[in-house]
Amino acid sequence: MSGHDSKYFSTTKKGEIPELKEELNTQYKDKRKDAVKKVIAAMTVGKDVSSLFTDVVNCMQTENLELKKLVYLYLINYAKSQPDLAILAVNTFVKDSQDPNPLIRALAVRTMGCIRVDKITEYLCDPLQRCLKDDDPYVRKTAAICVAKLHDINAELVEDRGFVESLKDLISDNNPMVVANAVAALAEIQDNSARPIFEITSHTLSKLLTALNECTEWGQVFILDALSRYKAADALEAENIVERVTPRLQHANCAVVLSAVKMILQQMEMITSTDVVRNLCKKMAPPLVTLLSAEPEIQYVALRNINLIVQRRPTILAHEIKVFFCKYNDPIYVKMEKLEIMIKLASDRNIDQVLLEFKEYATEVDVDFVRKAVRAIGRCAIKLERAAERCISVLLELIKIKVNYVVQEAIIVIKDIFRRYPNTYESIIATLCESLDTLDEPEAKASMIWIIGEYAERIDNADELLESFLESFPEEPAQVQLQLLTATVKLFLKKPTEGPQQMIQVVLNNATMETDNPDLRDRAYIYWRLLSTDPEAAKDVVLAEKPVISDDSNQLDPSLLDELLANIATLSSVYHKPPETFVTRVKTAAQRTEDDEYAEGSEAGYSESSAHTADGAASPPTSASNVPYAGARQPAPAPSTSPPAALVPDLMGDLLGMDNSAMVPVDQPSTPASPPLPVLLPAATGQGLQISAQLTGQDGQIFYSILFENNSQIPLDGFMIQFNKNSFGLAAAGPLQVPQLLPGTSAATLLPMALFQNMSAGPPSSLLQVAVKNNQQPVWYFNDKISMHVFFTEDGRMERGSFLETWRSLPDSNEVSKDFPGITVNGVEATLDQLAASNMFFIAKRKHATQDVFYFSARMPRGITFLTELTTVIGTPGIKCAIKTPNPEMASLFFEAIETLLKG
Amino acid sequence: MISQFFVLSQRGDNIVFRDYRGEVQKGSAEIFFRKVKFWKEDGEEEAPPVFNVDGVNYFHVKVVGLLFVATTRANVSPSLVLELLQRIARVIKDYLGVLNEDSLRKNFVLVYELLDEVIDFGYVQTTSTELLKSYVFNEPLVVDAARLQPMSPAAIFMQGTKRMPGTAVTKSVVANEPGGRKREEIFVDIIEKISVTFSSSGYILTSEIDGTIQMKSYLSGNPEIKLALNEDLSIGRGDYRSSFGSGAVILDDCNFHESVRLDNFDLDRTLTLVPPDGEFPVMNYRMTQEFKPPFRINTLIEEAGALKAEVILKVSAEFPSSVTANTIIVQMPLPKYTTRVNFELEPGALGQTTDFKEANRRLEWALKKIVGGSEHTLRAKLTFSQELHGNITKEAGPVSMTFTIPMYNASRLQVKYLQIAKKSSTYNPYRWVRYVTQANSYVARI
Repeated sequence: MSGHDSKYFSTTKKGEIPELKEELNTQYKDKRKDAVKKVIAAMTVGKDVSSLFTDVVNCMQTENLELKKLVYLYLINYAKSQPDLAILAVNTFVKDSQDPNPLIRALAVRTMGCIRVDKITEYLCDPLQRCLKDDDPYVRKTAAICVAKLHDINAELVEDRGFVESLKDLISDNNPMVVANAVAALAEIQDNSARPIFEITSHTLSKLLTALNECTEWGQVFILDALSRYKAADALEAENIVERVTPRLQHANCAVVLSAVKMILQQMEMITSTDVVRNLCKKMAPPLVTLLSAEPEIQYVALRNINLIVQRRPTILAHEIKVFFCKYNDPIYVKMEKLEIMIKLASDRNIDQVLLEFKEYATEVDVDFVRKAVRAIGRCAIKLERAAERCISVLLELIKIKVNYVVQEAIIVIKDIFRRYPNTYESIIATLCESLDTLDEPEAKASMIWIIGEYAERIDNADELLESFLESFPEEPAQVQLQLLTATVKLFLKKPTEGPQQMIQVVLNNATMETDNPDLRDRAYIYWRLLSTDPEAAKDVVLAEKPVISDDSNQLDPSLLDELLANIATLSSVYHKPPETFVTRVKTAAQRTEDDEYAEGSEAGYSESSAHTADGAASPPTSASNVPYAGARQPAPAPSTSPPAALVPDLMGDLLGMDNSAMVPVDQPSTPASPPLPVLLPAATGQGLQISAQLTGQDGQIFYSILFENNSQIPLDGFMIQFNKNSFGLAAAGPLQVPQLLPGTSAATLLPMALFQNMSAGPPSSLLQVAVKNNQQPVWYFNDKISMHVFFTEDGRMERGSFLETWRSLPDSNEVSKDFPGITVNGVEATLDQLAASNMFFIAKRKHATQDVFYFSARMPRGITFLTELTTVIGTPGIKCAIKTPNPEMASLFFEAIETLLKG
Repeated sequence: MISQFFVLSQRGDNIVFRDYRGEVQKGSAEIFFRKVKFWKEDGEEEAPPVFNVDGVNYFHVKVVGLLFVATTRANVSPSLVLELLQRIARVIKDYLGVLNEDSLRKNFVLVYELLDEVIDFGYVQTTSTELLKSYVFNEPLVVDAARLQPMSPAAIFMQGTKRMPGTAVTKSVVANEPGGRKREEIFVDIIEKISVTFSSSGYILTSEIDGTIQMKSYLSGNPEIKLALNEDLSIGRGDYRSSFGSGAVILDDCNFHESVRLDNFDLDRTLTLVPPDGEFPVMNYRMTQEFKPPFRINTLIEEAGALKAEVILKVSAEFPSSVTANTIIVQMPLPKYTTRVNFELEPGALGQTTDFKEANRRLEWALKKIVGGSEHTLRAKLTFSQELHGNITKEAGPVSMTFTIPMYNASRLQVKYLQIAKKSSTYNPYRWVRYVTQANSYVARI
């Protein structure tokens, strides 16, 4: 051979394809080979050379293996797009599968299995049957894998032709490569079948354990992984298995070592003798540590696995903490994992050494690493009571360096330490306060404010400190606002003097009037009410003793840990997630739709891995002070949390930001409405008054359809209604007309509504807060959900052309999509009618593979337009909805609406 | 099993792409590259070697600036895939002599042929260069090695030492030499990477040696080879058969290549093997037994007023004067407010350069070589833009060092002899037994 392969990439002026065609048909062998190489070169850079199919296939009948391989490579690539032509090659394949040269036989079977064309597959069966019994092991091992290929294309064929049985026979083959491939193929077939196909009996077990010693390193991994599913009958058998697997721990291939570790760990569960277990732990430690001498990529996998192993069997590496000390040149992903394991292995015995390391890491350059090191110190303090004081002194030392992010991180962990050891280390508060003005991260600020509030009675100038934060209250992030609110209340309860009293006015005012954050507002109202009704109760609630937090560095749920340990040496053990959360290979036996699984997989990204515990470690301050009244954190009070009877009379005015004079009097009779309305205020909550209501659209007008039922013992009259500010600015457009309700009677009414009256700022929300009042009862308020489709107007119909034009004119950033995995479209007509009834107008439909794609338009008042694309397979669950709109912030509401509509 | 294998250049170009199962979309290489390039998750800026995007799992390793990547949808063994990627790189290197973008492109037909034999339907078949030789027919086109980056650990021998036959490490295992005859030779390299952490008072906090006995054989006919190690070698820290302190070499743990037979290992510490073609590790070992670190680092920091300080770095080579270390780099992060550094080398210093990397506030001192027993000093005068918060040692350091010391090994593990089964009395192939020590993480805290 002469020259470089790269010359095949050069092109000539005179049309490439005809020239290649000519060369392929030359009588000179060498020239033909060169021509095929050129074709392959063109193919690999993505040029379409499929028109040369016949010419290339003609070169297939050659004794020259190099040329044959090239032709086969070409065939695999183009057979799918040219199935009819691929048939031309079948004869040569079948002939080749009987060639005297074993390499050619194997090559023919290997290639045929890669051509996923039904017609070829039919012809594959006979040669495959022969090759499974071939004299040459190279052919047999290739045929074994080919069975898995065939199963992937046509599982039935494999079972009908008894290939599974042939594979099982190959487990007893005298060639270890063949055994390994047979095991791999069987394991894959089993993975894709619902019924048991490859069950490991004690007989196969012993055969495979024998083959293990002869196998290549890769074969050993296949076999060990297959055997790890075997459950030993008793402790004795488990010990025997372990004994035969243990020598694998000395293997230079890390994959073999980890698979052996997995197998041993699994059998250890069966072993009862503590001596044997202790001895095994001792044997596993050095190989596990040696994995950390491999390339950093492997180290990372090893560390993620070790993380799991030490949670179950901490003794294995209890004395090896030094090997997890970070090296200066470790990649950041290795350092982070090492820190995790150091925390897990930290004990009273080694904590001094560990702290010395952490302290050193905390002064390194990499900011993320430094932060994690500081948190690690805090987690050790929480974990090891006797070392807490030493940990804190290290943290204080770090704070004194005054590196901003170190200080902030330290304050966050110290807050947790205070929670863990209440009334123990408060003497350091003074030091913390020195750094107050340098804090600029929300979590650190919130933590510091929590500390000030919690220990307000011990900090002489707590009011001054908090006051300095109050000035910027409206600009602070929600996390900080919530803490400021709570801390101020604590301060007030502890020091009810004039200063704090004024502060609390400011805070409550800010938090109720100036904010759009429902969490903050609701919490403020709760405080307000508590303080105004029963300050002692407020003390009991706000200053209640908090539950002590504990160390969470072993935070994996035991059942999850069990599952992950069974999956040591698999991806599952790296992500720390069960396989079903990310495995997206579709089982042929179970007919699951692919889209569903993809969607699942995309959510199971690495980023969410639960093992990244640093964040979990520092429970945010909100949770710390929120525990006593978790209910208050619901975005809005549920109907069941009705206000106490002793409510201040004008709270409703406060709540709604309006005064009572704006209330609509109720004095006129009503018209009844037909469909049953959802109950929003149950009788049990409303002292006998039950209110059901729903927004409806009729003839382009929006109504609030309301049903009042009086189940109380007294007549009710003087009904008034008020709507809080909401995203659509919904408000009553006329008076509420409800007559006096005698006990046991009901009245229905249609209240005309207007849009864009009292708009709330902030992100759109479907929440509609309603208050209803009568002359006999306290004010009732309840929540309704605005389903946006009632606003869709009849002028929303668009021409195809203008739809397309609008779609194109909107930037991609205005496109939002959402999947509804649970919804099925069964009848197209019915669905279109249903949508049209709600003014969602059908534009067009197209077919995309098995899926149908529908386009709709819809419009709201003020010209807010939604262009919608629905993708689904008719009759199969799962709808993808993509919309383009000039108002993408409304997308979530739109999706809620469409979900309601599609569910019918 | 894996679905796809591909090799990307540093710029993200597809150099090799092989799809084994057709389960993962074709655009995976671009998805992967974008993800890795703009990685920012969990506060980390470097993508971990394994991650999942939209249900596809991506594995990658970096080899001489190239990204070797595999994808899968199944719950496979990640160590198997990562190890496989390393091995594929090694096999290709065995074949091509040099591994880089250029050589891969020039030999693409051979590379695809190799990949078809190495992996079938996503399952590894073999990564043994020796075995592959019977199934692979394309011949490599060896590219000019002289100006190329070395890849293998053995490539460190190319630096500076004339005794080493520099071309050997970039020689293809399968290609014939010009003239048709292969030179009969075998290389045994004892490569040790040492990690030492000194406390601020110079006391050794941790020390560790990761060693490999690497072999690359160009012997025809694959004769049997016997390697003898130190007789007093012992394995396992709890194993004190040879009394501690008597100079015995004690390894914490070791493992062996599958071709190695250990029949006599317990008896006389000899390894017997028939070396397959290609480069492979005969034995990996790990040692935390105390050893004498080759370098001592002294750091002295004197504050001179509020905005000035002087750093004095002293490096002493504590190995015999017959040995010379080369390509030494000493680094030290300086306080954040450092604006200027004035360096002062010792009088008559040769082959030394200094630099202040302003971007990451780091001092860098490079020395071409250091002869055993010698001592070198650097003075650096720092100027700060702002007063320091207190202790300068908390804001600077630690001092780290990288170096290579040929013909030196810290563990004292030795190949006592290398015996090749004789085919005839005239058969006398070249035997190269070479030692080298490199810094892994060599750090002195201040």
